[in-house]
Amino acid sequence: MSLNRREIFKLAGFGLAISAMSLPSITYATKTADRILPPSKGKRVVIVGGGWAGVTAAKYLKKEIPGVDVVLIEQRKMFMSCPISNVWLGGLVDFEFLIHDFLTPAAKYGYTFINATVTGIDRDKRKVYTDQGYVDYDYLILAPGIRYNYDAWFHGDKDMARYTQTHYPSAFIPGSEHLRLKKKVDNFEEGTFVLVVPPPPHRCPPAPYERAAMIAHVFRQNEVKGRLIILDPKPEIKPKGPGFRMAYEQLYLDIVEYVPNAKIKEVDPVKKVIKTTAGDFKFDDANLNPPHQAADLAWEAGLVNPKTGWCDVDPVTLQSKVDPRVFVAGDANSVKGFPKSGDMAHNQTKFMLVKAIKAMIEGKDPLEYVKAPTNTCYSMVNGDPQEAIVINVLYDIDKQKRMPVKRKVNVVNERSTKLALATFEWAKALYRDMFT
Amino acid sequence: MERREFLKVCGSFASLTLLSPALLKESFASQSNEFKKYKKAILLNKDGNPIKPEDIKVGKQYLFFYPYVSTPAFLINLGKEVKPVEVKLSDGSKYLWPGGVGPQKSIVAFCAICPHQLSYPTPDYSFINYYPSDKKSGVVKRGNIIQCCAHLSVFDPEKGGVVIDGPAEYPLLTIVLSYEDGKLYAVGTLGKELFRDFFDAYRSDLKKMYKSFRKAKKKVDKSVVLGVEEYAKEIIFC
Repeated sequence: MSLNRREIFKLAGFGLAISAMSLPSITYATKTADRILPPSKGKRVVIVGGGWAGVTAAKYLKKEIPGVDVVLIEQRKMFMSCPISNVWLGGLVDFEFLIHDFLTPAAKYGYTFINATVTGIDRDKRKVYTDQGYVDYDYLILAPGIRYNYDAWFHGDKDMARYTQTHYPSAFIPGSEHLRLKKKVDNFEEGTFVLVVPPPPHRCPPAPYERAAMIAHVFRQNEVKGRLIILDPKPEIKPKGPGFRMAYEQLYLDIVEYVPNAKIKEVDPVKKVIKTTAGDFKFDDANLNPPHQAADLAWEAGLVNPKTGWCDVDPVTLQSKVDPRVFVAGDANSVKGFPKSGDMAHNQTKFMLVKAIKAMIEGKDPLEYVKAPTNTCYSMVNGDPQEAIVINVLYDIDKQKRMPVKRKVNVVNERSTKLALATFEWAKALYRDMFT
Repeated sequence: MERREFLKVCGSFASLTLLSPALLKESFASQSNEFKKYKKAILLNKDGNPIKPEDIKVGKQYLFFYPYVSTPAFLINLGKEVKPVEVKLSDGSKYLWPGGVGPQKSIVAFCAICPHQLSYPTPDYSFINYYPSDKKSGVVKRGNIIQCCAHLSVFDPEKGGVVIDGPAEYPLLTIVLSYEDGKLYAVGTLGKELFRDFFDAYRSDLKKMYKSFRKAKKKVDKSVVLGVEEYAKEIIFC
């Protein structure tokens, strides 16, 4: 019997329920088979993933369409922000700055927050299965974020992938990896520390360069006798290249070595050697960042284009090209010209996705409702004094071609303390929007 | 009368009534969705005397607090007559912005709370600011704008505070001024109010600053005008 991916996934979901029943814990089986919420009297939108896109979708759906039943499912107990985490890594802000609760906005805006792990999605029956039961939906917003594609390095060797993730965590997905990376940076005393820049497209394009600046700042403070080598597969730093280059040259010349055109050929985390198209590099410690792809859940739901590793969507509504009942928000989707950033996830969800769903529910043309998003991204490049640079991208929506187009790019590469202060206000304002 | 015509008529009244404060109140009061009448507050200088239009320098940004003791507003002299314009909101509604007041009809006022994500001038920092024509924003490379550095929303003070660029969905809220016998008064607001969101977002900050949240929400009947640099320790131009 030949099964396609979708059928396999459906069977896998069924298999889960069966296998749960065979376990000693009957409670678990009952839970997974249960409906968590009664059927909705109106339209129900279920959002899977409480990151920047998911939390924004929940709030703005309730604001724009108060009658809609909105359910946000997230497996984490607390929200941890990836944006600003580099600044935290540099010791410029407390960990608490990154942490927020899911309950306050749920209570304020009137959506249902379910703290559960999604175990399967049946798109034919429009059900999301979790470890606590299932939820029916009229529309599904999948905002699962990214996964690390260690297969690009280790070709299916899961042990090596696990070893690398444990010993040299990437820390592009918030959680323990960030805490471990900070310990490594804070405790590094001498030698070579390598930071591998993932190939584009990856989450937060300037993040590896900002991270390098913040690590260099810590090394300077700690009087580390060593080097930070940035291995970049690209021929030059992008975005904000001049701003980062100036920071490396003027602030960290004795610490940072930038190596362009360093495409990964082989990574050996045990022998601590990285072979690249720009030469081989031995390291004492490292931040190893493999390529990014849409998160596992998007693959399991059959929504990913395997050629790109991302979900194909209508570029103005973010509606999946595979299933019109599903929308893919944030980093997991693929829209030409959109960076995978927190601000973009927030804005594309607020201005495009939510307005498109509103139009569809009201039987109107989404093109008349959606607005072009913007993307503003500050990067901290100096820790003492605190100084930052910024890029701001403005878009229009070409209604004829049904796609967003870049209208203007504003960049300030001259680092300043004022932009550093604006960096914190940037974050506070977004957290305020999503969590108060 | 259709709503649009009605608003146009109200708008026409508004420009006329800059000379007639009594009529101003009456005509704006009818625009229930956009104009909201608050306590009439006289604008004072630091000495406690009514501020004169000539005291408001062209190209400088001033703050006063209105309609609440904790809600800052910009007072700006644009140096030339600022004519009324129709302002359209993203929900399709419209209102006629009355333009400038004062002897040259050059003075305008806007709420200084960014309608995007509520950044506002505090005693520590001012992230949202007026950039005169000779002091261009380093990011968007233009002057004669009000810009918030948090996410680079840019507003046009000559055109009713409409959004020129950036993620803000609404124009800056207008603080409606009246000019009577050489004195300036704030009489209400025009546009999309976000005071409820503001009080919600900053409840604990306002509680600390004004000793109690209730005191922060007290409405004013007079307001002292200060240069922004006299109020905020650091002005963040970007």
